[in-house]
Amino acid sequence: MPRPHEQDNTGKVKNTKHAFRIFIKSLKRYRLAIIIAMTLSVGSSLLNIFTPKLLGDMTNIAVTTYPEINFGAIMRIIWLVIGLFVGAGILNYLQGYILAVVAARYTKALRERIIDKINKLPVSYFDTHKYGDVLSRMTNDIDVLATSLSQEITDLTGYITTIVGVMVIMLTISVPLSLIAFIVVPISVAVVGRIVRFAQKFFLARQTILGELDGRIEEDYAGGVIIKSNSYEKNAIAEFDKINQKLTVATKKSQIFSSLSYPVTHIFTNIGYVAICALGGTFVVEGRINIGDIQAFIQYVSSFNRPITELAQTMSTIQSLLASSERIFEFLAEPEEDPDVEPALVIDNVKGAVEFHDVCFSYDKETPVIRNFSVKVKPGQKVAIVGPTGAGKTTIINLLMRFYEPDSGYITIDGAPTREMKRTDVRKMFGMVLQDTWLFNGTVEENLRYGNLKARHADIVKAAKTSNVHHVIEALPKSYKSEIAEDSDNISAGEKQLITIARAMVANPPMMILDEATSNVDTRTEQLIQDSFEKLTRHRTSFVIAHRLSTIRNSDLILVMRDGAVVEQGNHVELLKLNGFYAELYNSQFAEK
Amino acid sequence: MRFLKPYWWQVILLILAMGAQVWTTLQLPALMANIINDGIVTGNTDYIVQAGWQMIGLAIVSAICSFVASYLSAAVGANYARDLRFAVFEKVISLNLEDLKNFNTASLTNRTTNDINQVQNAVMMILSMMLRAPIFCILALVMAIQTAPDMTWIIAVGVTAILLTVIIIMVTVIPKFKLFQKMIDRVTLLTRENLTGLKVIRAFNNEEAEKKKFVQANDELTRLIMFVEKIMKLTNPLINVIFNGTTLLCVYIGITLLSKDFAYLGDMSAFAQYVAQVMMSFLMLSILFVMLPRANVSAGRINEVLNTKTRIHWKEQTNGVPEKTPSVEFKNVDFRYAEADGKVLDNISFKAVAGQTTAFIGSTGSGKSTLVNLVPRFYEPTHGEILINGVNIKDYKQDDLMQKIGFVPQRGMLFSGTVESNIKFGAPNATDAQVRQSAKIAQADGFIEKMPKKYKAHIAQGGSNVSGGQKQRISIARAICKNPDIFVFDDSFSALDMKTDKKLREALVPITRNAVVLVVAQRVSTIKNAEQIIVLDNGKIAGKGTHAKLLCNCKVYQDIVKSQLSDAEYESELKLAQKQKASSMDNIDGRTVLKEAYA
Repeated sequence: MPRPHEQDNTGKVKNTKHAFRIFIKSLKRYRLAIIIAMTLSVGSSLLNIFTPKLLGDMTNIAVTTYPEINFGAIMRIIWLVIGLFVGAGILNYLQGYILAVVAARYTKALRERIIDKINKLPVSYFDTHKYGDVLSRMTNDIDVLATSLSQEITDLTGYITTIVGVMVIMLTISVPLSLIAFIVVPISVAVVGRIVRFAQKFFLARQTILGELDGRIEEDYAGGVIIKSNSYEKNAIAEFDKINQKLTVATKKSQIFSSLSYPVTHIFTNIGYVAICALGGTFVVEGRINIGDIQAFIQYVSSFNRPITELAQTMSTIQSLLASSERIFEFLAEPEEDPDVEPALVIDNVKGAVEFHDVCFSYDKETPVIRNFSVKVKPGQKVAIVGPTGAGKTTIINLLMRFYEPDSGYITIDGAPTREMKRTDVRKMFGMVLQDTWLFNGTVEENLRYGNLKARHADIVKAAKTSNVHHVIEALPKSYKSEIAEDSDNISAGEKQLITIARAMVANPPMMILDEATSNVDTRTEQLIQDSFEKLTRHRTSFVIAHRLSTIRNSDLILVMRDGAVVEQGNHVELLKLNGFYAELYNSQFAEK
Repeated sequence: MRFLKPYWWQVILLILAMGAQVWTTLQLPALMANIINDGIVTGNTDYIVQAGWQMIGLAIVSAICSFVASYLSAAVGANYARDLRFAVFEKVISLNLEDLKNFNTASLTNRTTNDINQVQNAVMMILSMMLRAPIFCILALVMAIQTAPDMTWIIAVGVTAILLTVIIIMVTVIPKFKLFQKMIDRVTLLTRENLTGLKVIRAFNNEEAEKKKFVQANDELTRLIMFVEKIMKLTNPLINVIFNGTTLLCVYIGITLLSKDFAYLGDMSAFAQYVAQVMMSFLMLSILFVMLPRANVSAGRINEVLNTKTRIHWKEQTNGVPEKTPSVEFKNVDFRYAEADGKVLDNISFKAVAGQTTAFIGSTGSGKSTLVNLVPRFYEPTHGEILINGVNIKDYKQDDLMQKIGFVPQRGMLFSGTVESNIKFGAPNATDAQVRQSAKIAQADGFIEKMPKKYKAHIAQGGSNVSGGQKQRISIARAICKNPDIFVFDDSFSALDMKTDKKLREALVPITRNAVVLVVAQRVSTIKNAEQIIVLDNGKIAGKGTHAKLLCNCKVYQDIVKSQLSDAEYESELKLAQKQKASSMDNIDGRTVLKEAYA
């Protein structure tokens, strides 16, 4: 089978323009809401901008009317200022509220689309893609979208409005003073940016060492038994200590630089203040400017700093937003299973005659897995599929269930080609018990009902009894209502298998597909499983991936697989006579006599 | 916290630097007030320049102190984490399997990595923010009282408003966070189920039902997110309003006070800055209180490891003289896990001697794996004694005992390095020839020779770049290379196919002629030829003897064999066994003959 793709988790966007376009397009439904939120954000920033200026005016009034301070005028300004910042607060909250709702609805819809997609992708998609990869799109990437959507868009507009607005007001107060600010602030931002970028290198180095250390810890803990039984403890600790020291040095180095950024900004800010005070002072003396204006100006300088630094930050968040959205939409754009043919064939009263006609199949186009395979299975026959691990026994099942489609040739059931039926109808004809005993988190009963959602409690108990699992379930603390969890150890592997058998029994399909479990089942449960397998396949056409010689020998037809291809077929006696691969397999099982 | 002790002088230096930084920072607004009062208002340009230089000087001093303080907090945090990490690692490595029963590998790894990072961050934050806030408050108060005693109450108003806002928001939102995590987990779980159960879901045509379940969970999650977000979004606007409000208050009060003294003109803007800074430090402090509980959970998890006491104590020096001929003897051994009721092993007695294979078979949970894990003293018997080469294992020095044992666990475990470094793991002085010979016996030479750099081929972390069967064979080679008195194969052959299994066992014969071999197995074929087979059932010995003997008289063994053979084969096996028994040739079986041939 092909190797899974290397996972690209670097958070980099592959095609920024394309990713941006798709992301914007996906927001279409929320366009109006977003525009409103952005307008509100602009409004809120503008309202905030005027506060220092008005406070400065207050001082001016106080100074010019001193000592008979004009409190009437001052009170008017105070009410105006209160109105401004309360208004700004309300606008700010409104835009936050709107975006929170938009982000929640948007991500909710995306999550639904992903889950839909999972169920519509061809099974083959997961041969080349890891589950964890899809899962991380559902969790991490969606999370990135949600937070950046509800935050960054309006932050961005807010910052830009503030920067522009503050610049305008500063210029109206005093052009020369503004020039000082326009020179000092960008220099400080640039210097800090340089430092941060420098620090980044050390952070990266630290990250690498941290990874190395984590790997070492994991490995040594997992291999604890080996370390102990080889008296390797002292060496292991010494080796660990070396990496640990290296990490500490790297951490300190990276911290030197990141500790620098705040003090440097601080120095620059103060130089700016002093320059403004000195120049402003002479202006006041010359009568070119008021004291209140200088006070206001100093406040503007400090409120000028933050949006610029934040703007740089926001840019990098937007990068990761685009990367996440690219990963999500890339997944959503994967080709789905071909649609069912219309109108689809429907067969009633399935007898269970299955035929493979010249079937060819390959997972990737280069290496054919099954070549011109034909076989005729009569209704009620038992077919065993045997072969060493990795021989592709599951391929046959994948084709039967239409998890995969043959490259050429076709399969018929009761003479009707399956490719002309609906997939759901094909799958309805088979019950499936796999070695991987997949159960979901829920009660035992819910899991059993999975075979047929309309089954009544009595049907379920009956199926459990036939599958020899009734007494096991009864022994559980809450019987059929007991919860099954992923890591629950109240149910053994063998019992889980029995439950999956019962689940197939509840479905009561005309044909069966079984995969015998190999090991790790105790003797008694093993016998119970065998017994219920036997009941399940009675009077039904059944396909069994077989490991037990007893099953194989009782089969009507044996398909022998090797390196992905069916190399021999026939019953036990015929195949032994062939003295080929099957005979070799059979003999190796009990060669030592 | 005891790990902070060695760094007390750094912490003191840190506090001093922080104090100096806070003090200088607070001087700046005062200086600016002076510039306004004494410089700008009076038009004294010289004073402005002079105070300006003072300000720049102070800013530089403040910056240096700030750098020292923040670097020291990071450095102390890093050192602290290093020491803690070392302590935890050393502890885990020196603890025994039995002591670590309550932790799994992933959780231990997490405790040594993520949890320590959490604690390190917390220490850094405590050192930088939590220490700074009180210093800031005290000094700012002093300064505020100095500049404008009549305005001090504004600080109280501002701080109270900030704290109230933060507390109210946190109280409404934090309880929802737990619920939020639960719902996120549910959505993740359902997604994972849809992925892992892909085929089953499609086989039963239950895509629609799955979707319904997911939509429900998704709706619940979305509703909660909206609720939490709507409240959280209040934080920023509210805090802004409070900051602006206090500034306004300062200016207003300042202006009303102007009628008393014109100096308030400069003071009020200085004062406004003090207030803002004090409020800022309280804001930081409250954020810290949200984050600290998380670090506290991590610290608790780390302490759980550090406080684990070992139950197994080794002797400094081996007591008594072990015999030259290897042997393993169990005398009435019981074992049960601490805090557990049921016995895992119940009254086990047997003797395994050199040149013979003793095999253990039984269903899962029968205790066979636990039994062989008692031999290297990974677990301590609750009752009875175990003798190795005639000496009780409790009387051994750890290294002396381990040196006698070649242990091969169920899952092949390799370490990053090379093939060679892995094989030489237990015998660092082994020659190249010995390494090759060991690999050959373990049936590993074939694939190793095919690797690009052969014995120098790189092995990735945990051996992830070789297959399961290859890993297992290299681990067997590692045990062989050690040339031990006692081989323990804990179900080590099940990862191998039948042919390799058989070849390997044949190759082992000559080198185990003077060694005890203990084998745990699942397949009857693996152990059929063992001189002694011990059948375990629920921790008790259900039968002891050769294959033939057990087949005739041990019900549990018969069941095991039956489950692995077809009825007809079982019958023929049984007949064969009965014949063998009848001919009473138990002593000279095929195995002895084979051995002679090798000799």
